[in-house]
Amino acid sequence: MSDIFTYLNQKEVIDSIVLIGSMALFFVGLFGLLSQKHIIKIFISISIMEISIFLLFVGSTFVKGYTAPILGDGFEKFVGMNDPIPHAMILTAIVIGMAVFALGMSFAIEYYKLTGITDIDKMREMRR
Amino acid sequence: MNLKRDVAVQTYSGLGLSALLAITILNIMLHNMPQSVKRAGEKLLEINSQDGVANAVTTVVVYFRGFDTLGEIAVLFIASLGIGLVLSSHSEHHHKVESSFILKTASKLLFPIIILFGIYVMVYGHLSPGGGFQGGVIVASAFLLLLISHQDFELSHSVISAFETLAGVSYVIIGLMGLWILDNFLGNFIPHDISQMGMLVSGGIIPLIYIIVGIKVGSEMSMIVQNLLKRSDNE
Amino acid sequence: MSSIYFIALPLLFGFAVPILSRFGKNSVAYSSAIMQLALLYLAYSMISMPNSVVEVIAINPPLGISLVANKVSVAFVLLFTLLMSLFSIYYLDIRRTKPYKDENKFFILINMLLASAIGLVLSSDIFNIYVFFEIAGISAYILSAYEGSAKAYEAGIKYLITGMIASIFLVFAIALIYIHLGSLNLAVLSERFMTLPSEMKLLISMLLFIGFGFKVEIFPLNFWVTDVYEGSSTLVNGLFSSIVVKAYLFVFFHIFYLFIPSGEYGSFLVMVGAITMIVAETVALKQTNLKRIFAYSSLGQIGFIFSTLTLESSSAVTAAIFIVIAHSIAKLAIFLTITIIEHSSGSVDISTLRHIKSPFVVTIFIVAMVSLLGLPPLLGFTGKFLSLKSFAVSAEFLPLTIIIIASVIESVYYFKLVGLLLDRESERKPLPTSLIQKSILSLLILILVVVGVAPWIISPYIDQASHMMLDNSLYISTLLGAGK
Repeated sequence: MSDIFTYLNQKEVIDSIVLIGSMALFFVGLFGLLSQKHIIKIFISISIMEISIFLLFVGSTFVKGYTAPILGDGFEKFVGMNDPIPHAMILTAIVIGMAVFALGMSFAIEYYKLTGITDIDKMREMRR
Repeated sequence: MNLKRDVAVQTYSGLGLSALLAITILNIMLHNMPQSVKRAGEKLLEINSQDGVANAVTTVVVYFRGFDTLGEIAVLFIASLGIGLVLSSHSEHHHKVESSFILKTASKLLFPIIILFGIYVMVYGHLSPGGGFQGGVIVASAFLLLLISHQDFELSHSVISAFETLAGVSYVIIGLMGLWILDNFLGNFIPHDISQMGMLVSGGIIPLIYIIVGIKVGSEMSMIVQNLLKRSDNE
Repeated sequence: MSSIYFIALPLLFGFAVPILSRFGKNSVAYSSAIMQLALLYLAYSMISMPNSVVEVIAINPPLGISLVANKVSVAFVLLFTLLMSLFSIYYLDIRRTKPYKDENKFFILINMLLASAIGLVLSSDIFNIYVFFEIAGISAYILSAYEGSAKAYEAGIKYLITGMIASIFLVFAIALIYIHLGSLNLAVLSERFMTLPSEMKLLISMLLFIGFGFKVEIFPLNFWVTDVYEGSSTLVNGLFSSIVVKAYLFVFFHIFYLFIPSGEYGSFLVMVGAITMIVAETVALKQTNLKRIFAYSSLGQIGFIFSTLTLESSSAVTAAIFIVIAHSIAKLAIFLTITIIEHSSGSVDISTLRHIKSPFVVTIFIVAMVSLLGLPPLLGFTGKFLSLKSFAVSAEFLPLTIIIIASVIESVYYFKLVGLLLDRESERKPLPTSLIQKSILSLLILILVVVGVAPWIISPYIDQASHMMLDNSLYISTLLGAGK
């Protein structure tokens, strides 16, 4: 049992798990994007893709054994701490993603109110 | 019949395409694991203490990459504006379902506590995990609770807009003051002594900006939530 | 003067609109126009500075974000502020008869669009570029859905979905770049990018290509463009075609030149541009909606600019900057003219061109189209001539042939439109145009004619700019040498 844990604790193994996991999530989202027709389902698929990238980014820059880059609780110097830039970037990207998602939702609601259509293939106001 | 086949074809081709792409990209990424490079973040950690802020993520978000945060605030502002524009274009007629007495009382009890917690997270953003974004969202969730439980509760548009304006304008003005005083946009022009690290008043403009961000995020999110909620009421 | 004002002032204006709107009905409109004119003046004053100026934000590069104002980025900033202020003055006239609903929000959006377009051009940090990419995107989504009709929402939703997908691929690329290269600064990345393993380099390049490709509107990724143009209002189309796309185009090639100096993917990209052009021009032939026709024509021109820029020689970059200027000005003039036609007749079908009786509008329309087509003595000719010459010099004969065929196809539908405009048989109604509309349109056309006749007014500057755009070592040394 302990052998498995030492194996899993290797840096390469952790990195591969993060990679495979987040990429699996990415392609779940991509598959949803390509196969679904409902506007809101498409938005959800896109959000899944987005979150998988955040997971990949934070996961791959994480170093095992390092702490969050915050002083206090006995930490006096910024040594042995994780890289703060990915955290800051992901914070920015999450807020932006959320804002665009909410806007898309409101467009979809209004479009449904006006036409009763939720299927992206039936959106044919143009070329009439 | 035909439709069914079309759907099946689309599904399988989508699946096949995704799988193919997945295998290729995973293959490339697994064979090229990141080398140990000297990342910019490590250098930032080294120089982080000069601004006297205990939370390095806060320093990066608000100060080193503060320009990104300004842009992010702008995105949130535009999204809130757009949602208000889109969803307020029809007349509202509420149909009310009265909440139970227990729900109303409990939400009234919880509301000040959640607001207080939100403000705490905002104000201590430079010392502990948390900050403007998180605190702002917590504040918005308190308003969400009230909006759900009290059907006749409504946030005043002008009050929210005043908070929004105040926060947005003061963010840019603080940035410009840095430019005028230190010749450096978003420069830390308020004294920030390193000996004060860990105290509530430390870090110069950094906690100030994070509180501004908190106010901005809280008001934008509350407005977004109210717009979306009121809209779905009259289904 | 500091280049930060280009971004800080529009943002400040946007945030402060609720205060400004208390000072009266017109205060927001006028203050927006005045601010844009001030930015135009600032851009004009920066044109004459001898060296590049790096504006450091918070900490020194390569750790922090900084804005680089050199000859080429200032040229683009000047173009954007000029077009935006002309647009604003034009809109000040339009709003007296046909204002948008909730006008204050419209002013916020156009200023945010201006700030983000300038930010894309000036920024030297790839994640900051992503943030401006999103600001430009989100303002454009709302602007295209602004009219609130089903058509407008459809355009908005299509634009938004493609924009979200584009931003995911861009974030993916940025994440991989930071994981593997450990920096976000363009100068540092430019030094380190070629050290990546070739597979990884290909993957990141493909992700960047897809991410920007949606916004730059190149061939396989531009299926959404014409629907967006048709659904959104005509005025806004002018902004999309003359400002937004140009900013994305600049930033795409800025990154391309910095990251891949050897022109590794050049032969692929040059064909992408040529195919974009010929497909767009062919499809444009059978369109009957003016907005769609000019949307396809924009796509064609973008394909042309795109393939010219991939040649990576300084004469090609000079040519491309000329085409960008000519195309932006001519397209803005055309879309503003279509707005007049649409407001008077209520339709944008090409048959409405038969019923116009206004020598002024007809002249504007024809001159702008002739410039787009690249006939002398207009500004479009200078760019097209230089571009074709540099194709021949680089011995890229296949794309050259495709481009010439596409230009011939382009001329077919332009002359169809000219024929409709000059048709003597039909019954015509006068088209009222106000003094401001006339002066703005004539100013745009005047630039096309004067600079077309005497390109040497701006060509020394553009020559310097194109050298600067290709000179990576200069960019790296200015950016990394900056600091306080």
